[in-house]
Amino acid sequence: MEDYGGSDDEYYYSDDRESLDGLDNEESDFHWVPSKGPSTKIITKESLLAAQREDLRRVMEMLSLREHHARTLLIHYRWDVERLFAAFVEKGKSYLFTEAGVTVVEQLDVDSPLTSSSTVTCDICIEDVSGNKATRMDCGHCFCNDCWTEHFIVKINGGQSRRIRCMAHKCNAICDEAVVRNLVSKKHPDLAEKFDRFLLESYIEDNKMVKWCPSIPHCGNAIRIEEDECCEVECSCGLQFCFSCFSEAHSPCSCLMWELWSKKCQDESETVNWITVHTKPCPKCHKPVEKNGGCNLVSCICGQSFCWLCGGSTGRDHTWSRISGHSCGRYKEDQEKKTERAKRDLYRYMHYHNRYKAHTDSFKLESKLKETILEKVSISEERESRLRDFSWVNNGLYRLFRSRRVLSYSYPFAFYMFGEELFKDEMTTEEREIKQNLFEDQQQQLESNVEKLSKFLEEPFEQYTDEKVMEIRMQVINLSTITDNLCKKMYECIESDLLGALQLGTHNIAPYKSKGIEKASELSSCWSNKVNTADKCLPSDGNTSGGASQHDKPSGSRSSADSGCSSWKRARRDGGGFLDLNLPAEIMDRN
Amino acid sequence: MQASRARLFKEYKEVQREKAVDPDIQLVCDDSNIFKWTALIKGPTETPYEGGVFQLAFSVPEQYPLQPPQVRFLTKIFHPNVHFKTGEICLDILKNAWSPAWTLQSVCRAIIALMAHPEPDSPLNCDSGNLLRSGDIEVINPWQECILDLQRHQRKGEYVQ
Repeated sequence: MEDYGGSDDEYYYSDDRESLDGLDNEESDFHWVPSKGPSTKIITKESLLAAQREDLRRVMEMLSLREHHARTLLIHYRWDVERLFAAFVEKGKSYLFTEAGVTVVEQLDVDSPLTSSSTVTCDICIEDVSGNKATRMDCGHCFCNDCWTEHFIVKINGGQSRRIRCMAHKCNAICDEAVVRNLVSKKHPDLAEKFDRFLLESYIEDNKMVKWCPSIPHCGNAIRIEEDECCEVECSCGLQFCFSCFSEAHSPCSCLMWELWSKKCQDESETVNWITVHTKPCPKCHKPVEKNGGCNLVSCICGQSFCWLCGGSTGRDHTWSRISGHSCGRYKEDQEKKTERAKRDLYRYMHYHNRYKAHTDSFKLESKLKETILEKVSISEERESRLRDFSWVNNGLYRLFRSRRVLSYSYPFAFYMFGEELFKDEMTTEEREIKQNLFEDQQQQLESNVEKLSKFLEEPFEQYTDEKVMEIRMQVINLSTITDNLCKKMYECIESDLLGALQLGTHNIAPYKSKGIEKASELSSCWSNKVNTADKCLPSDGNTSGGASQHDKPSGSRSSADSGCSSWKRARRDGGGFLDLNLPAEIMDRN
Repeated sequence: MQASRARLFKEYKEVQREKAVDPDIQLVCDDSNIFKWTALIKGPTETPYEGGVFQLAFSVPEQYPLQPPQVRFLTKIFHPNVHFKTGEICLDILKNAWSPAWTLQSVCRAIIALMAHPEPDSPLNCDSGNLLRSGDIEVINPWQECILDLQRHQRKGEYVQ
């Protein structure tokens, strides 16, 4: 889908605006303008080396360094090449090297080459060894090979192989990885492999712009982002997740809000609240007792009787006026307040949770609806009808998924935004009320339009006349545009009016994208600098229906088969496919 | 294992040779186990520990010198960086700043230096750390004096000062 569109606004409905008469637009010329490649890249096991080499090459060229020195610098600066260059410009080469533990030997000391005839005293094992059995590091410290090897083995097994320092006291220098590899492989080839793997994976482990895909079972991919750390991405395995916190994609909730909400939904905090509101503890066994009717003398299963009003233990006998061994009537304000508050909090939580759950359930049901709708489309296309272009259904369905998702996550957001858990001291009661009304108005508008869109898409349009279908088509197109705009507005409201005025640092949210969560493209292992155009979805002959976009599958779902192109414009039936001259020859041949 | 034994044996020889050179440190190896050592160190001058003799227990790992020895005070000491009950020492060279170039002898020197220059900001003994931070060094003196008095009574002249 991405490959056909222009700007956000034109993205979905360009073909519909051009052919509102509903006639098949087969003869119109189609100009495929490739969009800017996705800013998120998938790094597979194969392309990991290429990705790392790219950054290493830049640093090696810029600072005229050997590979292991460049890697040491990059690990120290967490593979942030720009930050490394900035430090180089601001503070100079020597600061850069000292800070990262890089010792660049400008000129080897001619007086002290290690030969087999010379002997060296190793300060570690306190042995005299011949020169060919000792190694001098860049920093100038020299120890015997056995001691170096043991040192490296301990560090690799301890998971510190990315930055193995020299053994000398207070020497900050990082050991040459070639020396490490060479010495370790003689004794433990498997450990040398482990060392290489750690160095390679450092590109992911130490890099804040690259993270492993959190899929279970793990797909083996990592995702690299180019710009903002606060974003949502989709891996090629189909998992959509928040890049900041690794949980399912959850905007417009901030990561902190989502973490609290997930915990609240999973643990028994609300069960505890219910127990507080509806039960009283037995004064003898302290088990919660619910009063299911009758008077205020309550009996626990342990046999203890107590007064429901104050919770005090009593005798078993009672008259109209009093319970034996007890008289209460004193007003305990604290207890009353506590119960009232718990009751209010519980109802508030239930309000938001019910709506969140309702939209999440609708989202799941609508995901199943996709197959039904596509079936309707194929039936409609087979009919003898003037209408051939049903891309509006795909677009509408996609917009429904996207908006439904935004809507469902807007409830946990509202729960925390206007509750007292996070922003108690940030707003006055009046401010909170004004902001809540503003937000809820937008939420309501979005909700009603999403429901309308859902209703129109569920219509059995395959049975309708062309006129009726045209009517539905116009409604779906309009509602799709409206819901998209409402989603944008809601995000703007959250970013500027709600969170903007508060702790923006703590509560960042992934920006709204009409196109949906960006699907990461594979980082090519051969042409690492170019966008891998081989993955582009080229329209095939006679592809009339196509699948709805997968961008908004429920989080955690996997997609395998339904990756066909959507029917933006159908390819001409005369076999004239579209060629991209930038594609490598073998792919051209395949097409 | 073999390498660590060889290294410890060399250190043992070195200790025998240096006995006269450094009278503040007496390192003794366990007769039956070369991985267990005991040290007696003198309290540094111009500190609350002056005049005291402190016993340290060394437990050397099999991967020594690549990994640091475990050291603790057997003698009670009131010091910000020493746990009052267990005698555990908070010293960087015994943790993350360890280098295989260190020896047991040099570790003892580092501990003496720590006694003379405590680090109240990373205390294992919070009371002592707080006193030192607030500048109440005079309060530490009587504390340590009490401990040293007890120690002298218990020792009955076993160790030459």
